[in-house]
Amino acid sequence: MTGTRIRIVWQSLQTVIILAAAAVMLVPIIWIFLAAFKTHVDVYQLKLVFRPTLENFSTVFAQPYDLGQKLFNSTIVAAATVAIAIPVATGAAYAFSRFELRGATAMLVLILATQFVPAVVIVLPFFVMFRDIGLLDTRVGLVLVNLAIVMPFAVWMIKGFIDGIPVDTEEAAMVDGSSRLQVIRNIVLPMAAPGLITSGIFCFIIAWNEFLFALILTNKDAVTLPIGLALFKAEEGDLWNLLSAAGIIIMVPMFVLALVIRRHFVQGMTMGAVR
Amino acid sequence: MAGVRLKNVTKRWGSFVGVDNQSLEIKDREFLVLLGPSGCGKTTTMRMIAGLEEPTEGEIWIGDRMVNDDLPKDRNVAMVFQNYGLYPHMTVFENIAYPLRVRRAAKAEITPRVQAAAAKVELAEFLSRRPRELSGGQRQRVALARAIVRTPLVFLMDEPLSNLDAKLRVSMRAELKHLSHELQITTIYVTHDQIEAMTLADRVGVMEHGRIQQLGTPDQIYNDPENIFVAGFIGSPAMNLLQGNISNGGFVTGGGRPIADASLPDQNAAVMGIRPEDISVTAADDGTTQATVYATENTGESVVVTAQLGQQRLTCKGDRYLKVAINDRIGLSINSEHTYFFDAETGKRIRRG
Repeated sequence: MTGTRIRIVWQSLQTVIILAAAAVMLVPIIWIFLAAFKTHVDVYQLKLVFRPTLENFSTVFAQPYDLGQKLFNSTIVAAATVAIAIPVATGAAYAFSRFELRGATAMLVLILATQFVPAVVIVLPFFVMFRDIGLLDTRVGLVLVNLAIVMPFAVWMIKGFIDGIPVDTEEAAMVDGSSRLQVIRNIVLPMAAPGLITSGIFCFIIAWNEFLFALILTNKDAVTLPIGLALFKAEEGDLWNLLSAAGIIIMVPMFVLALVIRRHFVQGMTMGAVR
Repeated sequence: MAGVRLKNVTKRWGSFVGVDNQSLEIKDREFLVLLGPSGCGKTTTMRMIAGLEEPTEGEIWIGDRMVNDDLPKDRNVAMVFQNYGLYPHMTVFENIAYPLRVRRAAKAEITPRVQAAAAKVELAEFLSRRPRELSGGQRQRVALARAIVRTPLVFLMDEPLSNLDAKLRVSMRAELKHLSHELQITTIYVTHDQIEAMTLADRVGVMEHGRIQQLGTPDQIYNDPENIFVAGFIGSPAMNLLQGNISNGGFVTGGGRPIADASLPDQNAAVMGIRPEDISVTAADDGTTQATVYATENTGESVVVTAQLGQQRLTCKGDRYLKVAINDRIGLSINSEHTYFFDAETGKRIRRG
């Protein structure tokens, strides 16, 4: 075989492998997408040609499922988590990055170590605590739990971005007449903005998809979308068409966010990594 | 306008001494260069004056004000950093305007002042660009314009030219000199480049081990070094430093007869310094001493000959028509009027009576 032919074979092989990998990942999503527009009868048939219906979407928003309320809960909880986590984490990350703190390394490791504890282990203590102080089935409670989950990631990620800002730039601003707070507002925040956006969206996705704590700590008022999915069981079995419609409602915001951050994300990852 | 005074300033990190009990007085409108190898404490000294580093002991005065407890923003100094320290998310205009804006200068005043500063460093046409769209030299000009847009008491420049390529460095050096002559503001300039120090300074402070070894005009530093460190640090090629002893009014190295007049009391361990340009290469049987050629380097403007003299080597600068080859026997004529003698143990200069 000549070199050209080897190359053609190799390139075709690569294409096949990529397509196979893409298929493995995409087939469930395509299936859900099709199922969401099928009637209950059609769902169990692998038909690609069928008469699409929007009925599933109106059903899931109607009683008894009332997905609208869950969508509202999820949005509020995820948005509030991000709105609190990012400013607080930025403050912490700045301090870790720029000041000499006693035991900074130990603190950073401990912050991350909280993530090594399996969620299942701590969900029951949370349940008992929340029951005692009346936070069960409240959005406030869920925001607190989500904060505990996302803060370590946020601190580490944002610290990486701030480490990437040259100290010279901050010192120049100080000599030019800025106080420390002005340096942070005028120099650090604008320069770290891509990182802050990336971290914010990252936190939003985690909070949006969080399942275990929401399952145990809510039952009616504060139920979020992922838990809402579990509603679609009936005597005739799983209502796949409704489940799929709800699944799409969960996925679409994530898809949009992924498009928004795609540009920042790679930069964010490498910027944090190189120091 | 103001002078700067350091009174017994020390900076320690744990047991490491960065600046060692240093006192220094910089006069109003003076251009002072701190020169030394890396790690000698010159940048630390400057950062303490800027307020970016806190002295462990001692006092720092700017004008008639003790500034030890002032934040950098309250010291009214301007600083140019080696890595420029520009604000990448702002345009050139915004970069230069930043010191005015953050000090809440009147809006009507900002634009003309930024334009004037930019014009002084020939940046007027780049005001709407971002730093990343500029070359290294242009970035350094932005940093300069940002420093001169307000009238600080003191300019601090931390190796401002060392990130530029060699050619640009020379032209920027001339521009800096012109600018400082025009502005007449007290300037402290840190560098490891002796040419920059010699050409820019009113006075040079040569630093080593956290202390200024000698403070004087470029002429004094070059022609009247106080100790071996200064003698060896200033000059390129470096001054020859020969080990030997002084006896009967002559300098003797490696036994044999004296190679230069000393007219000093006898001393067992002495070092003689002689600049390469004060030794001339002669025919083998002329000159004050004889040696073998170890290497020759033609730099274009001159030929630098390294000669083997017993166990030691000497560099001498011959004119560009000098033709010698390795292992040739040559004579060296040492001009005794331009020799310096040092105590080999303390490194201090031994001066004539």
